[in-house]
Amino acid sequence: MTDEKKSGLDAIDEGPTASDAATPTGGGTAGDPADHASVQGLMAQFSDAVMRHRVNAGDQHVVWIDAARSHEMLTWLRDDPDQLYDMMSDVTGLDYGSGRPVEVVYQMYSTTHKHILRLRCELPLDALEIDSVCDLWKSANWLEREVYDLFGVTFKGHPDLRRILMPDDYAEGHPLRKDFPLRGRFSRAEQTRRALNQEVERYYLAEDLDTGLVPQEAPTAEIRPFEDAGGDL
Amino acid sequence: MGLKDVLPGSGPSATSGGIFGAGSPTFLTSKVDWIINWGRRNSLWPMPFGTACCAIEMMASAASNYDLARFGMERMSFSPRQADVLICAGRVPYKLAPVLRRIWDQMPQPKWCISMGACASSGGVFDVYSMVQGIDTIIPVDVYIPGCPPRPEGLIYGLMMIQEKIRQESLTKHFEHRAEDPALVALPRASDLEVVGLTGPFGNSTQQEQLTGGVAVRAESPSDDLLS
Amino acid sequence: MSQKTLEINVGRQEMGADGLPVPSPIAPFDIPEPDIGTEHMLINIGPQHPATHGVLRLVCELDGETVKKVVPHIGYLHSSFEKLGEYRTWNQIVPLTDRMDYLAPLIYNCAYVMSVEKLMGIEVTERCKVVRVILMELDRIFGHLLWLGTTAIDVGAFTPFLYSFQERERIYKMHESLTGARITTSATRVGGMMADLPEGWIDQLKHFLDTFPDTLAEVHHLLTGNLIHIGRTQGIGAISAADAINYGFTGPNLRASGVDYDLRKDRPYYDYETYDFEVPVGEHGDCYDRYLCRMEEMKQSVSLLRQAIDRLPGGPINVEDPNISLPSKTDAMSDMESMIHHFKLITDGIPAPEGDCYLGIEASKGELGMYLVAEEGSTKPIRWRVRPPSFVNLSVIPKLAEGHLVSDLIMINASLDIVLGEIDR
Repeated sequence: MTDEKKSGLDAIDEGPTASDAATPTGGGTAGDPADHASVQGLMAQFSDAVMRHRVNAGDQHVVWIDAARSHEMLTWLRDDPDQLYDMMSDVTGLDYGSGRPVEVVYQMYSTTHKHILRLRCELPLDALEIDSVCDLWKSANWLEREVYDLFGVTFKGHPDLRRILMPDDYAEGHPLRKDFPLRGRFSRAEQTRRALNQEVERYYLAEDLDTGLVPQEAPTAEIRPFEDAGGDL
Repeated sequence: MGLKDVLPGSGPSATSGGIFGAGSPTFLTSKVDWIINWGRRNSLWPMPFGTACCAIEMMASAASNYDLARFGMERMSFSPRQADVLICAGRVPYKLAPVLRRIWDQMPQPKWCISMGACASSGGVFDVYSMVQGIDTIIPVDVYIPGCPPRPEGLIYGLMMIQEKIRQESLTKHFEHRAEDPALVALPRASDLEVVGLTGPFGNSTQQEQLTGGVAVRAESPSDDLLS
Repeated sequence: MSQKTLEINVGRQEMGADGLPVPSPIAPFDIPEPDIGTEHMLINIGPQHPATHGVLRLVCELDGETVKKVVPHIGYLHSSFEKLGEYRTWNQIVPLTDRMDYLAPLIYNCAYVMSVEKLMGIEVTERCKVVRVILMELDRIFGHLLWLGTTAIDVGAFTPFLYSFQERERIYKMHESLTGARITTSATRVGGMMADLPEGWIDQLKHFLDTFPDTLAEVHHLLTGNLIHIGRTQGIGAISAADAINYGFTGPNLRASGVDYDLRKDRPYYDYETYDFEVPVGEHGDCYDRYLCRMEEMKQSVSLLRQAIDRLPGGPINVEDPNISLPSKTDAMSDMESMIHHFKLITDGIPAPEGDCYLGIEASKGELGMYLVAEEGSTKPIRWRVRPPSFVNLSVIPKLAEGHLVSDLIMINASLDIVLGEIDR
């Protein structure tokens, strides 16, 4: 629903306006899977779980996958010898507002094959849950905590799912959702009062330190020697 | 007892004449004031509460080009117990607010506060859910330095204003001026009405009620009747 | 009166006639170690602390001085840049980008507009590309200099701090003559730059490049072979290559572990593949290797800057498309169409196509990713996500610091080169 602009400057005051498109395609052009080996592999391997494939911004391949099978597909992407996505660059959330599903976006990179891929999983608003990939990539630990904090998406199997950027007892909701007002839900006086009533020494007790953040070894993947570029070390 | 009871000019002999009486600022007290203020303003030990970009400009002021050491502020005291002036440089979110308040409470009197930068003075660019809209809602501020970030010359000018403020202090008026009620520790310094007044949205700030089709939810908290 | 002399063995273990060591009169060594119960101590470092490089809180569980566990708490600088970005047009977000990584603002400025331009399919002019490369490399040096100064001061060396800040002052002056601001530069716009390089700026830069390597060499003499520095940094906070990749390390931290991943070489942008430079790769993944990688990167940036200056072409700095770049003031004041374009660009902004774009570039701290999502015709992003390198780098600290001493924890924290502005956004 597009809001009517009252005057030029009011347009700046508003947040982003949703387009009128009934079924947004996700942008860009319809992708040809043959252009990207991983997309081809995904479609061959998990044909029923790949919903859509587009090429955005010229050359970026984006695949929408079924959130229920995300862990299985991401495991395959990490371990299959032609894919070997060993680096999870980014995990983030995306909320369009207006009742559209919240998406979790994975940005991945392979240091051996040097290709990137973006995966998006749509989550219905009444079931904001998805499997955590912390067991596959340790970098997802804090990234998923942030998505939980700012969007309210629960990651099943996450070792330590608690708020990371907001205070632990933040009661106003999940800030980056579109229905969350920019200045917060409480008045400034209430926010100030709650802020000053925080216990500064939270997470200072030994029991709190055992909140699952046990440093773990990375899974015993075979250590591939890095490619010698020919120069000196 | 205490200093103010033994100072001439402030005790029972205030009404008698001569240099030891007749009104509160007398010759002797003003000389004492002058010496004490001179000592205080030329050896201020700043407590750098640096959070963001302004902290980098504060570090640049302390470095060799702008050199705060020539003002006697060589020793940046990172322990509040040994500091005189708290320089709050950078934006302060609500998560950091109790820490700032605690550090301010830990500083012994006499103490002053500089709010460096737009974010510390009023919230700056960040009129958002997580940012304190000016640290004067939490702690009493003596000098505000505008800028985003203020140049080191700006910080130095602000420190010189603090020095000017100290120069005009007087021991006899000092105690009421600096008294802090221990019962008010860790409460917001500004009352609810003041906070609302200080942090009300500006006319041209983003009007959050106009959202993308979503419902403008604004849960009423118990103190919200002050807004209406 | 007889005189007694007492011979004391200090530091030597004498062997007696029976082959067993002679017990020393000072410290009897045959008493078994007493079994005393100890408790682990909890200490809290931060959020206000000189050595945490920002408002970071580390809660440590110590056994004596050895760190058993450390839990970092962040969020003490959360300014919700990403939500603010949803209320601003594409160009209005540029001033926000300075305030995230305030140690190397031009890199963030450039990264953001590069991502917007990729989303919209805008190709900037050749001059703009080279100017942006110059600014990014200059700010790489800028950011590394601050890292150098603050890390040295954490180790206890005060002089490199003053030297590096003196060099930074010269870069501040260059920022100021280009944009008017020392730190919060906001120099780029979608489709080009805020303004072209002023006259004499390249000479200023050349003068800086002529004298900066001497300062770098001086700090190198002070620190690199310094036994105290070596003792504080070698073997501390080591991480293997496989672990580093899995934990999401990027930038000099990753390269110090032996992984040759630099976005300028592996996913090049702005003709980086045509520049002649080397990427330093370490071996042990400890603090010392990270230090060496960054020192060498500064040298390589100097070389890159010289090459970029040599190939700086003339021509316009902004894309000559009135729907993207602002027209010149004279045009806007005299020509009606330019006036209308100016008005539309300022009040509405540039409409974007539907889609999303993730662009990763090599910032001074690692892979800086800008992810933008737009809807058809929107002048503001639906979602602006910054993938901050320091956020993922910091999450590894529990693994790196376990088993080390508290002072090593400070050193590890310093060697990761984090900036809380981008971690907390």
